[in-house]
Amino acid sequence: MRNLLSFIIRYSKWFVFTFYVVVSLLLLISNNSYRQSVYLTSANAVTGTIFGTWAQVTGYFHLKSINESLQASNAELQNEVLNLRSQLSEYAALVSDTLHHEAGDRYGYVSAAVINNNTLNPRNYFTINRGKLDGIRTGMGVVDQNGVVGIVNVAGDHMARVISLLNETQHFSVKLKGTPFIGSLSWKGGDPSVGYVEEMPRHIIYHIGDTIVTSGYSTAFPEGIPVGVIVNRTRGADDSFFSFKVKLLPDFKALSTVRVIKDIYKSEIDSLATFDINK
Amino acid sequence: MSKSFFQNLLITFFLILVQVLICNHIMLFNIATAFVCIYVIVRLQMDLNTNWLLTWGFLTGLLVDIFSDSPGVFSLACTILAMVKRPCLYAYVPKDDRTKNVTPSLSELGFGVYGKYLFSMSFIFSLLIFVIEYLNFADVKDIVLMSLGSAVFTFMILLGVDSLIVTRSEKGL
Repeated sequence: MRNLLSFIIRYSKWFVFTFYVVVSLLLLISNNSYRQSVYLTSANAVTGTIFGTWAQVTGYFHLKSINESLQASNAELQNEVLNLRSQLSEYAALVSDTLHHEAGDRYGYVSAAVINNNTLNPRNYFTINRGKLDGIRTGMGVVDQNGVVGIVNVAGDHMARVISLLNETQHFSVKLKGTPFIGSLSWKGGDPSVGYVEEMPRHIIYHIGDTIVTSGYSTAFPEGIPVGVIVNRTRGADDSFFSFKVKLLPDFKALSTVRVIKDIYKSEIDSLATFDINK
Repeated sequence: MSKSFFQNLLITFFLILVQVLICNHIMLFNIATAFVCIYVIVRLQMDLNTNWLLTWGFLTGLLVDIFSDSPGVFSLACTILAMVKRPCLYAYVPKDDRTKNVTPSLSELGFGVYGKYLFSMSFIFSLLIFVIEYLNFADVKDIVLMSLGSAVFTFMILLGVDSLIVTRSEKGL
């Protein structure tokens, strides 16, 4: 017994070292579980408060560029409204009656402020100041005035953590604007303004500067939300497909105000998917 | 509890705040981040019991992890850094001086030895952080580049911190 004690005392530093390393590794590994990470992220009131205050101060520094971007976006939307109105008036003359079309009512938006953001890690997340009480749920898409920025990861009562598009583990279903051809968008680390679209069919006709938009094949994003523009073609993992380097439209280093997309059919679509799997 | 213990505690808390609120959000030229939170681990006196040193390192890392949403990354790196502190310093100190109770500092070791020790510790920590974060040896080039960049950046910042803290409280650490 005495020998055992003297052995433990003699090598105590190795026992302590091993203990701390094991605890750290457990923390590191358990980070993959979204439920456990809640304690260290959004639910952490101290971090939320500090970053909330911080974001209030630094938010002013980005106002100019955001304002310019909003004005451009606003002008584009006004043009679109005018075009649609003129088209509607043309159709109204041709068709006297039509079926009620609900597609426009399918999606709702909740505006939120980004209170903590990071672009330096291979797996980035950011926190927004809206939570379950505002109707935010896991899996909802998040966009800013320029395009797609992420998907809600964990929702607390008042805040939510969002998996940024700048997260190597995330893939988004996208397509070339104006075509039905689908690809997969992901970020591969490094420059936060560059993403990669893979698995595009080789027969598509594209031009540098063409816009990549969401495909609409998920409940997170409606079809047609801009994601980025093609910079050039790159060598992909599979020669059967095209791969593109894409300049991402949102400025991830200056994320400030975002909108969370609520799909009223989400639960219905998800339950249908579960139904198929169970069968 | 000695005065220096509380002084170290205060400096640690202050540097953790600086790390979480400022340094974690700076990436110089997309390759260099400063890790100021290791300052106290680097500067703790050499006669401190290794178990206490490991505990100090682990808790420092854990606090950074909690506030910067990176569970396990800093705590693992700080623990390993605390473990390699002694061999790292002894690699640059002559054998005869190793039995002395040394507090690693510019005034006690001189710029040559202290500079080499500080840079080695900064590089080891940066390397650990990026290896743990990436967990993928396919990115070796990026990891080495970012580790070197961050080590240089951290080294310069810590020398600056040294000049700020040591001049005010040379006896403290």
